[in-house]
This record gives sequence, C-alpha cells and structure tokens, in this order.
Amino acid sequence: MSEGLVQILDGNTFVVSDSRGDIEASLTDPTGLFSFDTRFLSKWILTLDGERLNPLSVDDLQYFETRFFLVPGTGTVYVDAKLSVIRRRAVGDGFHEELTILNHDDKPVEITVRIEAASDFADLFEVKDALKKQGKYSNSVENGSLRLGYSRETYRRATSISSSAPAIFDETGLTLVAQIEPHGVWTTDLDVVTAVGVGGTYTTPKYHRKGRKARPNMESSLDKWLEDAPRVESDWEPLKSTYRRSLVDLAALRFAPPVMGGHSLPAAGLPWFMTMFGRDSIFTSLQSLPFTPELAATTLLALGDWQGSRLDDFRDEDPGRILHEMRYGEMTAFEERPHSPYYGAADATLLYVVLLDEYERWTGDRKLVRDLEQQARAALAWIDEYADLMGNGYVSYQRRNEETGLENQCWKDSWDSISYSNGEIPGFPRATCELQGYAYDAKVRGARLARLVWKDEAYADRLEHEAADLKRRFNRDFWVEDGEYFALALDKDGRQVDALSSNNGHLLWSGIVDKKKAKAVVANLMGPRLFTGWGIRTLAEGEGRFNPIGYHVGTVWPFDNSFIAWGLRRYGFKDEAAQIAAGILDAAECFEGRLPEAFGGYARSVTKYPVQYPTACSPQAWSTGAPLLLLRTMLGLEPLGEHLVIDPALPQGIGRLELLDIPGRWGRIDAFGRGRVHVGARGSRRQLGLAEELMPKQKRKNGKKARVTA
Amino acid sequence: MLRKATGVLSFDISDGASTAHWSVVLKKGDVLVSRAHDEADCVVTTDRPLFDGIVRGEKNAMAAVLRGEVAVEGDTELLVLFQRVSPGRPSLFAAEKSPSQGGRHE
Repeated sequence: MSEGLVQILDGNTFVVSDSRGDIEASLTDPTGLFSFDTRFLSKWILTLDGERLNPLSVDDLQYFETRFFLVPGTGTVYVDAKLSVIRRRAVGDGFHEELTILNHDDKPVEITVRIEAASDFADLFEVKDALKKQGKYSNSVENGSLRLGYSRETYRRATSISSSAPAIFDETGLTLVAQIEPHGVWTTDLDVVTAVGVGGTYTTPKYHRKGRKARPNMESSLDKWLEDAPRVESDWEPLKSTYRRSLVDLAALRFAPPVMGGHSLPAAGLPWFMTMFGRDSIFTSLQSLPFTPELAATTLLALGDWQGSRLDDFRDEDPGRILHEMRYGEMTAFEERPHSPYYGAADATLLYVVLLDEYERWTGDRKLVRDLEQQARAALAWIDEYADLMGNGYVSYQRRNEETGLENQCWKDSWDSISYSNGEIPGFPRATCELQGYAYDAKVRGARLARLVWKDEAYADRLEHEAADLKRRFNRDFWVEDGEYFALALDKDGRQVDALSSNNGHLLWSGIVDKKKAKAVVANLMGPRLFTGWGIRTLAEGEGRFNPIGYHVGTVWPFDNSFIAWGLRRYGFKDEAAQIAAGILDAAECFEGRLPEAFGGYARSVTKYPVQYPTACSPQAWSTGAPLLLLRTMLGLEPLGEHLVIDPALPQGIGRLELLDIPGRWGRIDAFGRGRVHVGARGSRRQLGLAEELMPKQKRKNGKKARVTA
Repeated sequence: MLRKATGVLSFDISDGASTAHWSVVLKKGDVLVSRAHDEADCVVTTDRPLFDGIVRGEKNAMAAVLRGEVAVEGDTELLVLFQRVSPGRPSLFAAEKSPSQGGRHE
C-alpha cells in the first residue's frame, strides 16, 4: 500500500497503481480500480512493442488526477529513449486515461501499444481477508469495447473499456497501432467505466451518466471548497501548509452516500474505509465544524435516515441506534457480512446528539434540530432502554452477532484495547469510561435542545436530572483512588478495569469529570507515563499491555489528542492544551502536513521524528480533522449565544495566528491570537514542542483581539 | 433542503405473469398505502416474495438492492425510510431481555 499511488474522487472510487501507472493485483494485493467496495479492475498493464515501461516521474496533480512520465525499457541504468510516454489519469465513474506517446526521433515510427486488462471483482472484505469468489466471470468484446463482467445469482457488476483511437479488442485487453511522425505525438483517450447491473440493465452508480465517459469535473469543486474555508495566517509557516493539506485531504475524503442526493459527509479513511462510518463521520464533523459546517449537516441527516428501528441480532441493530459502518460489496449483498448497515458501535448514538447540539451552537440552524427531533429523542432513549446491558445505569456493549460482529464497540476497537492494569482482559459486557462521558454530554446537550428548540421543559428537566445522577455515580464508581484517574472501564461484575489510558482526556471533553478531580486527571495525562512530547499515548507506559507500537495500547493518535486538547480547554488548562497542539502539529510537519492514523508512542527525547505506525491508514478523516480542531483549541473558539468567544493560548513558538472568515451564526468572523513572541530569538526555530524545552522559564503572554464582521 | 421525510414510493411487484402496483405515501413517519398511480419520487421494481419479505421485516432491503433483486429509480432515501417503518424480525435479545427496564440505579 505504502509504495502504491492512490487517487480518489468523490469518496469511494479510487485507483491504486504502481509508479508506472500499471495495476497487477493479486487477491491479497490492494491495487486496482475500486468503487463501492468492489474492485472493478485488477489488471491494467501497458506495453509498447511488448516491453514494459520505466517510470521517470509522477505528478500528483490533484487528489483525483495523476500524471505518469515513462520511457520504454526496464532494468537498464542508462536510458536513451527515442520515445516517451505520458499517462494522465483522472478518477470519475471509473477512470479516464489520456495516453500520449512522443516520438523524439527524426524518423517516423510504428509502435504496437498493448493494454492487458482484467477484473476479479473482489469485495474489499475479500481483499482484506483473501477469500474466494463464488460467481462467474464473463468477458466479451462488443461494439468496439471490452466488457469485463461478473455475476452471482442476481448480483451483476461490469467494467467496460473503450478507446478513442481505433483499437482491436480481445477478451484480455486491447491492441492499438501508433504511427508517429518524426517529433510527432500520438494520443488516445481510454475510458474505464464501472457499472452495476439490475435485471438486464446496467447503470453507472455515481453520476448516472449515459455513455462511456469517465471524466470528472472535480477541479472547480475543489477550488470552491478551498475558497469557502477560513484562511490561516501565521508566522509559523508549517501551520499554513498543514492546514492546506488538511483541507485538500478532507475534500478528497468527502463521500456522497447514494441516498444523500450528492451531498457529502466525511468518510473514514483511505483506501479501506471510504464509506459512511457513524463514529468517524461524527468525530470528523465535530473537528471541522468551524471550517466546513455543511459536513456536519449531511452527517446528521444521513445517519438519521439510517437510524436503527428494530432489534436485528445479525446487524447488532436496536431502535434508535446510530449505524457503525455501511458497505456496498458482494459479501454485504449476500449477507455474509452484516454491513447493510452494521450497528455495532456503542458511542455513535451518544455522539450523534453531541454533534447535533454543537452544530446548532455554531450555525444557529434550528430547522435541522427541529427536523431531527424524533431521531435525537430516539438516540437519547436508546441510552437507557438498550445500552444499559448490565442494568447498572451505565452504557455497555456486547455483540449479539458473535460471528462477524465487533467485539469492542468503542473507538479503541482492537481485541486487546481494553485491559486491567495487570494486562488481563475483561469479559463482556464492558462499560468503557468514555461512553459514560459521552452519555452525560448527550443528556446535557439534549436538555439544551429540548428547552431551546423542542420547547419541552419536562423532558429537559428529566435529562438534566439523569445527567447529574450519572455524573455523581460515575465520579464515585470509576475513580481509581490510589492513581487519581478514571478506570478504563467497569467489567461485568462492576469491578474497575483499572488501566490508565487516554480515555481520561475524552472524559474532560465530555464534562463528566468533577471539577475537583480535574487537576489530578490532567497531571496523569501530561505526566511521563502518558505524554510522549509528541502527544498522549492511548495506554500509559507501565501498564501490562503497554507497547509503544501497539495499535490501541501505546501509540499516539492525533484525533484522540485533538479531543483531549478540547477537553483540557474545557476545564481551563490552556497551557496543557497548547502543549498537545504543539506536539501534534510538530508531528504533522514531519509527515508533510498529513497526519497518519497513529504513530509510535516513543518518548520524544528518544526519537527525533515520530515513528509512523506500520499499517496506519492515511489519509484518515479524523487525523485530517485533528489540525482543524487544534486550531480551534489554540484560539479558544467557543460559540456563546450569537457570538464567538475567542480566547487564544498559543504554543510557544507561534507568535501570531489568525483564522479569517470563520463561518457561523454570526456570519463570518476573524480570530487573532498573539503568543510568546520569541520567534527568531534563537534563529528560526524549527519545532514547536522543542521551543518548550529551549525556553522553559519564559512566561507566556497572550494577547487577544477579535473582530466581528457579521 | 436535503431532507425528504415526505414522498411517494411506487412499487411494481411482479408475481408470475402479472404485475401489481402499490403506492406508498410517507409523511413524516405516517404511511398511506393505496393502489393509486401517484407521481412517484422513487420507483421500486421487485418480485412478490421479496417484497413480502421486506414488508414483514424478514428481508433487508439494502442487501437486496445491492444483490440486484430490487431495482430502484429516483430517491433511494425513501426506500430506506420505508424499511424503517416496516416491522423487524424476531430477536434473541428481545426474548432474553425486556428492553424497557431502564429505571433508576443506585
């Protein structure tokens, strides 16, 4: 994956190829043209006169477009090409490839151009798990095109390949003859179009366009996206490029679910997770609210449409529950996987209410809150009626689909993520602590919406009463006295699963933490067991299962840290929030602005660069959203009534930070922050977090200034 | 506005040689079923056993669409909403545990 090139468009169609532009997939190799969780092309190999090509360079023009510069011949050190080849590829309803051959010689040439094409129509799940296909393949040549087909009962998928220049098609590809004048140019347009069959007819899923053109028109959409977003100005240059990278990646990660009429929400990550995920879409929408609030609106509507309505054990569905993951591939179609959609997340439903309230606070869009009243009430009812599996007043989870359902239904969803301090793993159900925080926050926010928009005082009172009761019990039952932090979970016997984890930061964000406990919690978060200098580890050093490169047991997750920073701000720990921002933004700079899902939990004093987690998915939506949320926490942006409060606390090393044209209920607002103006005092400083060490005794002075341009 | 909580679904249901037509009007959670040929926002074409399965909650509409057993034209969102108002299938969980045992805890 890491050596391949990835292009995508509009969410879930993407191409992964090698640096020549060729695709040579195997069952377990994730290259190909993918759309709706299905591989539509697994082979696409270009030869000139039977020879493979040699890559000179690759230009990633846009996230949906790449250009490969190639010359004939491979394996030699010395390239003396009389020909060069350019493949310019754009992803759309499949992909469009403009193939150009340039003759640099003073003699005319005739070249046989051959493209080998095939498709295995693998479901993404099959690619991940290396499973065998059950249907039949049928390739045919018709009307000057090659059609690759696959069918299993009524399930039909097809890929059709055509060329603008005359070509001879056969069942394994196409052959063209290029006659090129001295110093001349030959070109052809190749279209590879995906199609889904129903009955006897095929339609192209996304754009419903007739014909064979796969060419998109995304450039204007990306320009508009960048133009509409607030601008960042800062004397710390890397912040500007990280911000831009985030916006472009977020545009690439937009996904328009088939039911949403072209409106998009953030998909989870590339390439395996280009789909609607309850948790990831909500977290990313929360992070991006001050920048692109329309993502939150679509997320709320789409997840609301699919809200659970029944008890379905296969899908772990309950009435009121918000979905976990939607998939469109063959295994989902035949119910070999439960993702149509699958509901096995214990947090998405709680976070749904949190997002609805936060969305209203920023945008003032009460109409949406009114339209989604039923969905929000059903989500709140789910907490007490379906999520309290142990009957002890806490949200917990245990899958009912024991074959293909998810064991851990919180964001730390790997098998060993929830453990006692001694490393043992509890049974089910499990009531992880952050779920209680989210439930508390959902009730408090639900009460606000009930009072403000739904005009139901009694309901608001009830929710507030329940929230207060939950907070009181939680601070008693989850508090680990000797360590002064909150336990990771309660097990089925009500015993504390007592490992120290980053979840404590989410608790601050939710507001469930008693004020008098906050200081101790923060001391743990910022202490050497959790804080590496880059960020806060998922699990503290010294815990039984701690491993600095363990997926949820020691790595640092940028998304996790962004919410922890928000939590620190919520309880007034501005400097600590700035320190988290500094570490994560420094890491972002090392990754050229694109934060991975996770990186190693080694101490910063040991590794000068953050060590990328081996199989981390990138770009990933909530990592992409992390710098956005950190901009919010550094500037201390908080909607209050019709206004935006701006209370900056910048990391040492950023002298000036401006966020211009922040959209919201106020129209557009600019936010300015001034920091510890020591930039340049020691030459041009490189990394934010290190400034902390270089200048430990400097007292921070923050200026604040806000201009309203409503 | 994105949202269409209200709309008309048209079902063309083949049953051997004949095709039955049903019109379903969804109005913010209310459902009206008739034989009328209203102008539809979403046209669904399927066969009798599958349609009955979806209505009884035994078949999942989304999976059936992906399998190509149901053809949908127009606003797919309405089919999603239609399935939500159809009954569910029996759950082991429901048999074991009465779900409405909320109440206070101490």
